Amino acid sequence: MSNLASRGDLQRWAPLLVLVALIVFFTLVNPNFLSLKNFARISISATPPLMVAIGATFIIIMGSIDLSMEGSVAVCAVIFATLFTALGGTLGGWGWVALPACLIVGAICGLVTGTVHVGLRIPSFMASLSMGFVGIGLSLMMTGGDRIRVEDPLFRSLLTQRFLGFPLMVHVAFAVLLAAWFIQRKTTLGRNFYAVGGGEELAHASGLNVRRVRIAGFALAGVFYAFGALFAVAQLGIAETATGYNFMFVSITSIVVGGTALWGGSGGVWNTLVGVLIVNVINNGMIVMGLPRYVQDGVLGLLVIIAVVLSTDRKSLAFVK
Amino acid sequence: MNLHSLKKHFPWMTLVALTLFVGILDPNFLRLDNLIALAGDISTLFIMALGITFVIYIGSIDLSAQSVANMITVLATLFLAQLGWFAAPVCIAIGALFGLVSGYVSNRLKVPSFIATLAVGGIALSVGQYASGQKALYMDAGLRNEAFGWIIGTTAGLPREMIIAFVLLVVALIIERRTVLGRALQAIGAGEPAAIASGLRVNRYKMIAFAISGAFAAMAGLIFAVKLSGGSPVMANGFLLPAIVAVLVGGTPLTGGVGGVLNTFIGALIVAVIRTSMLYLNVPPTAQQIFFGLVLVGAIALTIDRSKVRTVK
Repeated sequence: MSNLASRGDLQRWAPLLVLVALIVFFTLVNPNFLSLKNFARISISATPPLMVAIGATFIIIMGSIDLSMEGSVAVCAVIFATLFTALGGTLGGWGWVALPACLIVGAICGLVTGTVHVGLRIPSFMASLSMGFVGIGLSLMMTGGDRIRVEDPLFRSLLTQRFLGFPLMVHVAFAVLLAAWFIQRKTTLGRNFYAVGGGEELAHASGLNVRRVRIAGFALAGVFYAFGALFAVAQLGIAETATGYNFMFVSITSIVVGGTALWGGSGGVWNTLVGVLIVNVINNGMIVMGLPRYVQDGVLGLLVIIAVVLSTDRKSLAFVK
Repeated sequence: MNLHSLKKHFPWMTLVALTLFVGILDPNFLRLDNLIALAGDISTLFIMALGITFVIYIGSIDLSAQSVANMITVLATLFLAQLGWFAAPVCIAIGALFGLVSGYVSNRLKVPSFIATLAVGGIALSVGQYASGQKALYMDAGLRNEAFGWIIGTTAGLPREMIIAFVLLVVALIIERRTVLGRALQAIGAGEPAAIASGLRVNRYKMIAFAISGAFAAMAGLIFAVKLSGGSPVMANGFLLPAIVAVLVGGTPLTGGVGGVLNTFIGALIVAVIRTSMLYLNVPPTAQQIFFGLVLVGAIALTIDRSKVRTVK
């Protein structure tokens, strides 16, 4: 029994240990790694993926998966930028309306994906992959393949203004993370995600409207994707279809590496924070070490395989599709 | 004749209906040379879809096919300079190896196939970018014609790619219908627990299915590279969605067990006709992706066998 507990403990703390080990390793390789300036750099690059990954965490806790984030982020970013420009192009005027509008667009994207998945009863990975393709197509159609510039200094201050050494967007993202933690711990919806992920039939038998929880989960995730889109636009000052590029792979990898099991029912937003940091520390560390950027995809691919393998209790699985 | 027995005939009926529909819009569409050009254009996509069919047939999925094809366009271009025609078997072997790795990760390490293939696809993407130095590469025209001249051009008025695709269809059909492997895959698709219980080495056969998919994706990449006389790590982007659509609208459901390579043949033709009809209807190319995404959802919803998935996650 004690053996079992230690295995559980190890699994629980492994992601954090990995993160610490990575930081120590990269610091030994290059002492410049361990500096406030570099940590600010890591946190900036980690902010948009963190938002997206938090949203997807709720879905993975339910035992489903969402692969639509590239489309959703692109649609949110493009609609935000279009609306923002149309409303005067500055947060000082009516442009602020575009911010809540963007979050609503995100929720609608999620709502559609969730409804397709639950209503048509098709597996979430395929429903969301298809809707992701639709989203990319939609954003391409809206922009015609062009970039929309968002140069409002007030909006860009999310990146340019620093507080305690970190840009404003990092602080805002931390507030969003706390909000997500609140939803996860203190709301019925948050607890229901775990109930559905822990055992759907049991949750259904105890009177939970599983279908509604699932759809709500996708809509909630969409709101976080919209936050990710906003930060990505604030970071680059550009909204385009490619704004969503790579979010799917990075966010899923981060969640799994953070210790949220793909089977659902365990993990949470703090795990995802650790996972996102691991992925971004590796990316940053590889750059500090002088490795080219494109090695990332391969490393992420290996990481996700290792993480899923380590987090799987394979004896409990009959067979895997 | 109830709806269930009719379901089997949906794909070819859709194909005939669509073809007639476009034919009425523009009678030129039904001219033989136009139809041949249409089939020629879809060949590469069809070859990729053929491979994916084997994986979907056993109830898994392969999302790495596009990345493998991308990688192969780069590797084929590089190898051509050194190996000549021998680049072809090397490329196909590399594709099969990537498929085998996907199969190993998903079957032995019990990682769900969509994640496993996504991850292996990421590795393939990295290899492609590394090998190409992140730029487009071009084949030497003389070398290409000497080694792979047989892939391009026409024979008796038919595009050679189409002939190759047809040969590969026959090969896939033989694998499916006339080999122990094909039979085993049918058993796995029909019911994996029963296949395990009857002593079949299910894991081994499933891994081979993934390897076949990788090999076909490599062939698609190779032909694409020769056709465009070069390679780049993003060349085959946009193949994955229509390839999966072709498998599913052909009538092989996501849950596997029914359908097969002949269905994918019909599915690929449906995709080709839809694409062409969009040109006639002046639908912008960007909207095609939206449309195919929706078609994919519809095809899955119509064909999936819900008795096989106890809870839809």
